[in-house]
Amino acid sequence: MSEGEAQYGERLAALEAAVEARTRDLKAALDQRTALLHELDHRVKNNLQLISSLMLMQARHSADPAVKLALDGMIQRLNAVATVHRRLFQTEDIDRFDLSEFVRDLVADLGGAAARPQVRFACRLDPVQVSAAKAASLALLVNELVTNALRHAFPEGRAGQVSITIVQNNAELWIEIADNGVGMGGQDCVAAHGVQGFGLTIVELLGRQLQARITREDARPGLRMRIEAPLESVTG
Amino acid sequence: MMGDKPLRVLIVEDEVLLAAELEYLVAASGAAPVGHAMTSVEAVSLADQLRPDLALVDVHLSDGPTGIDAARQMTEHCGAIVLFITANMKRLPEDFAGACGVMSKPYSEHQVRQAIAFLGECATTGRSQRPPPHGLVLSPQFAERWGVVAAA
Repeated sequence: MSEGEAQYGERLAALEAAVEARTRDLKAALDQRTALLHELDHRVKNNLQLISSLMLMQARHSADPAVKLALDGMIQRLNAVATVHRRLFQTEDIDRFDLSEFVRDLVADLGGAAARPQVRFACRLDPVQVSAAKAASLALLVNELVTNALRHAFPEGRAGQVSITIVQNNAELWIEIADNGVGMGGQDCVAAHGVQGFGLTIVELLGRQLQARITREDARPGLRMRIEAPLESVTG
Repeated sequence: MMGDKPLRVLIVEDEVLLAAELEYLVAASGAAPVGHAMTSVEAVSLADQLRPDLALVDVHLSDGPTGIDAARQMTEHCGAIVLFITANMKRLPEDFAGACGVMSKPYSEHQVRQAIAFLGECATTGRSQRPPPHGLVLSPQFAERWGVVAAA
């Protein structure tokens, strides 16, 4: 081996060692970041649980039915957001969600918690990928509409069905919540069907955020609410 | 519903507010909360002393991520059925450390009630009569032991 070759070999070895050391450092830094991210995720989930438990406790401590009702509504909204977080970090993909997956979660919880065995759910939930950043808004929107149907469409133990449809139609996301309950009864839908003040405000605000068209129509029987949002506003 | 003797439940959770709420939910589900531990040492010692039917165990306790070890000891030495309740699903080993399953945080009131009712049935009869409720993931070992039908 010539002197030149030996020098070349040495330099190569030194370079390889340097690359290796650098890679090791970068990997250590990445591992640390990942651990921090998981710690943060853990904290968020725990804190959501803490808030939810506090609200449940206060709802039970309150003697005022109006306070209880308001707190129950807020607990349910918090649950909707929690549903999104529960799924976060359970899959490898952390910035995209299948909307239908978490709506399925939400419905299982809402339906069960409402304890209305005479009300059935019929779901057609196509897989639709949405961005994690929009997931909470969408969950809150669906929560508001489903809760509303459960609360107002079937008074006095009336039996019926709530249909939930999520489909991707060309460049739009369609969410449809329909019930076959008491419906509008020929009156103004808000007054008759009670997407009451605050709930309605939430639906309108979230609809605006998602650039969605919201339509309510008399489904004879019942009421149908449809949200049509441009896909880019829920995937971006 | 559960048999004549209510399911005796130990709660292992380092957040006192969460533990208090779980105790309430356990009682509201017809089971009997028998104790509360905040560390793994306390958990194992209470399990040994109280012999609970079921222990609800968070992975992260006051003495660190020790819930998994505690679960293993409680199942092996104290005969308790352990259910993990945790935000750290990924920390769980493949064999669930002998636990019957896991519920993810954040959980809802409804999920906890349903899970306790279901585990009560399984613990009493040794078989599951129905698929596990939403939000409860069973370990492969317990799914087999209880002859669990896959959830629809």
